[in-house]
Amino acid sequence: MEDTKALAAPGQYLGLFIGGEEYSLGILSVREILQYEPLTRVPGTPPSIRGVLNVRGHVVPVVDLAVKFGYPEATVTARSCIVIVEARIDDESTVMGLMADAVSQVADLRAEDIQPPPPFGTRVHVDYLLGMGRAGRRFSLILDVDRVLSADEIAAVQEVPLTPEAAAAPLAERPAAGA
Amino acid sequence: MTPRASRSSVVEPAVSSEAEIELRQIAEVFVAESLEGLEAIEQALVVQEGGFDEESVNAIFRVAHTLKGNAASLGLGRLSAFGHALEDTLDAVRHHELAISADLVSLLLEAVDAIREALPGALDGRDEIVGEADLVERLRVLRAAAAAEPAPTPGAAPTGGAHPEAAHDHHADHHHTLRVEVDKLDQLMNLTGQIAIAQGRLRESLGELGAPARQAREVAQGIDQFMGDLQELVMRARMVALGPTLRHSARALRDAAAARGKQAHLTVVGEDVEVDTSVVEHVRDPLTHLVRNAVDHGLETPEERRAAGKDPVGQVVLRAAHEAGSIVIEVRDDGRGVDRARVLARAVALGLLPAETPPEAAEVLEALFAPGFSTTEQVSDLSGRGVGLDVVRRNVEALRGRVEVESELGRGCTIRLRLPLTLAIIAGLAVEAGPDTYVMPLDAVVECVELGAAQEGGDDGETGVLSLRGQPLPFVRLRRAFGTTGRADREVAVVVRRGEQLAGVVVDCVRGERQAVIKALDRTLGRLPGIAGATILGSGRVALILDVNGLLATRLDASHGRTDGGGQKC
Repeated sequence: MEDTKALAAPGQYLGLFIGGEEYSLGILSVREILQYEPLTRVPGTPPSIRGVLNVRGHVVPVVDLAVKFGYPEATVTARSCIVIVEARIDDESTVMGLMADAVSQVADLRAEDIQPPPPFGTRVHVDYLLGMGRAGRRFSLILDVDRVLSADEIAAVQEVPLTPEAAAAPLAERPAAGA
Repeated sequence: MTPRASRSSVVEPAVSSEAEIELRQIAEVFVAESLEGLEAIEQALVVQEGGFDEESVNAIFRVAHTLKGNAASLGLGRLSAFGHALEDTLDAVRHHELAISADLVSLLLEAVDAIREALPGALDGRDEIVGEADLVERLRVLRAAAAAEPAPTPGAAPTGGAHPEAAHDHHADHHHTLRVEVDKLDQLMNLTGQIAIAQGRLRESLGELGAPARQAREVAQGIDQFMGDLQELVMRARMVALGPTLRHSARALRDAAAARGKQAHLTVVGEDVEVDTSVVEHVRDPLTHLVRNAVDHGLETPEERRAAGKDPVGQVVLRAAHEAGSIVIEVRDDGRGVDRARVLARAVALGLLPAETPPEAAEVLEALFAPGFSTTEQVSDLSGRGVGLDVVRRNVEALRGRVEVESELGRGCTIRLRLPLTLAIIAGLAVEAGPDTYVMPLDAVVECVELGAAQEGGDDGETGVLSLRGQPLPFVRLRRAFGTTGRADREVAVVVRRGEQLAGVVVDCVRGERQAVIKALDRTLGRLPGIAGATILGSGRVALILDVNGLLATRLDASHGRTDGGGQKC
């Protein structure tokens, strides 16, 4: 089976649970793991954006991948956490948070532990995956952070219609006052 | 001598690479300074084209002279020689041997462009000027022609015009200045912002401690005072005069007029209005675009103007001023004005507006700002090319500003950019709506009015109209607008100014005034109408900053404006 996409490279991977299933993230894109704290909602964003969080003075959007993958919205428990990742989106580095039900472990994956992602039978579209990793007897899908968080995917917000902006310039309506 | 030999072989490359780095740094300063110098020349040439005074000729001469010298000291022989040719020409002008003509100005501008293009190469030690020989030859021909026929003294020299010696006094009234990277100022600003936030937390926790913490509170108040001063100072350090940015557009005006066979005169007002340096970066291109637009689409040809009984020379005025806590920059022309009927037809054709729109509606002018909108059928090489007023508006909105248009058919058009004075910190009013806290920019707030439970218009809808001292006040209920149901037992209407009118934002309660350090929202969140940015509260939580105008526009006008026919007209 040919795969046009590069497979995940051997290295360290962080395991995290989303919608009850285990996924892996390359450790190099993980900046830190924070305990869940209340987020500030941002009206007008898609449901997969849970809100924004203050990470040492920076306002970071937090994404609920469960929603994106079609699971029910993640519920907050004592083990919930927010994984702060650095993704490359449109060739710019962007810091974002990922909601996770829990994080599990950091696994060392060798080349032989990494297989191409199964072409079917996964909840997550193959485009978002870099492979399937095996740590001991456990398998987890390796997420392509850049793809899964790409602007098109996340901010697939409806285009703002022109008309409601109409009165943004109230003076425009004044029948040309002055000389 | 082996040890020494081996040592030198190790040390030498290190030394030479250090020297290289140093040379590169010198070259960087040279390039930066020269670019500024060229800009000054360009502005002087364009602005003064009508009538040169000796002072500006001297100023240009000095820049060419400096360029020549600096290039020579960096071993850039050709740049230096080119600078010399320029200097020679300007010297002839200075000595009244060569008159300022449109041809000369064009040629000098070409030379400026050539140097500007050559400068980045200087960083890598390249020393080439494209078209050098041709330009030098044309400068020579111009001088030779003038020598054959002595020129009159430069026209319009002001009476008692400055003498060349005046040039030396020039430095005397300059304050001592220092080049600082904007990055550093940004960091400084961020840091003061962080400290201000930390201080807010300190103040809150001291407040909770009550009486025993009285002394500590006093100390904290003292620090607050210093902090405020420091913040203001940092902010002031970031302020730069708008003059160079405004004059930068003069070049655009000249080029556009020349290309279109139009005559235009630019007047610049308010050059000393100061704005945050990041504003300057963002308004430069929009202004250039607006000026070009004014010439391209606004001004008529000299013939048309004569026929209309106007001065054949079109007037474009670029004006900057402070107005009520914001900066207003406007581009006004006395051209043909916006033809609403034509704009409407085009907007309908593009599907931007429904066919039955009355031609008076504000949406007609608004259509000018839609992406891809243009009434000129052919794409000109000046305006057009898809970058248009939509880009202008996007840039201005990115600065939390607004764009306004005023137009009168046959009399001209004014496009006004309204920008916040400072970008990084605003005085805000913290309000609560549903589970969240929001910050409203204080400058828009007129007053806060408590609403009783039985207030008129008091259903729990998203929008409505309530009575403020007998006057109708259209309002938006924030918690509903932002997706929380129900209403609080007691509510507060925050009355805000909206152009000439008042409107209300109904919130659950008002938490009080505070300084809010503005943080950008990640671009992946897309464009969010009604939200201007975010800030961090004393508690460490993020609060969104409301874009009150945007909020009212999207909520009020979407629900009322069009159905009740002019209910919200200004």
